[in-house]
Amino acid sequence: MSLAIKKTFIEEDNLWRIELAGEVDIYTAGQLKEAFIKIIEEKKESIRIDAEKLEYIDSTGLGVLIGALKRLRQENKNIIIFNIKPSIKKLLNITGLDKIFVIEG
Amino acid sequence: MSRINDNISLSIPNKPEYVSVIRLTVTAIANRMGFDIEKIEDIKVAVAEACTNAITHGKNDTDNFFVEFSIDEEKLVIKVCDSGKGCATNCIKNPDLTLLNEGGLGVFIIKSLMDDVNINSDLGKGTTIIMTKFLGDDM
Repeated sequence: MSLAIKKTFIEEDNLWRIELAGEVDIYTAGQLKEAFIKIIEEKKESIRIDAEKLEYIDSTGLGVLIGALKRLRQENKNIIIFNIKPSIKKLLNITGLDKIFVIEG
Repeated sequence: MSRINDNISLSIPNKPEYVSVIRLTVTAIANRMGFDIEKIEDIKVAVAEACTNAITHGKNDTDNFFVEFSIDEEKLVIKVCDSGKGCATNCIKNPDLTLLNEGGLGVFIIKSLMDDVNINSDLGKGTTIIMTKFLGDDM
């Protein structure tokens, strides 16, 4: 299974909405990184990630999210993640990343 | 009663596209052994992290790394070996998230999810990660 990334800029909330579907691992993390770089170049605004269809993410994928957050923090922007599957939530808990990103729901 | 003592060995190219193959393989093995869904997920994530390490630190993509599954009634032991450059295991630190480093989470995740983890690394000879998950209740 691969990774599908859908991006929309929500004008009224002034933030990006990103839908991730599939798996982020060492094979697909590069694709995610490129997508984030493009998004942030276009508009340096907070990113809200819909993780409903995100089946799996590993440390390389989390590294990409951390890298993107680092760029956004310079402008006091954030990464918000919602609709997270329990297995991914567990990973965010044990790594402490649930305190670094804004987790909704 | 005969004791189970089965071994499965795989040799895998140092290429990122094969990590998902290992994830599916270990999921099938753990499922067949009777692990519950949460433990299967833990094992899957931990083994994938070890494979990612092996590929990242392995010599080059023409090499292979090795995964061995040892199955008995009580536990699943998984060994992941690469022939990469190795590293100083005593220098592996717990991640400090306030620094927002993009790497260094893999081994921490493996240690958090598995019941027992051993990492042997020799500079120039590669790294072996041996991890165990027990079938019974959490200890």
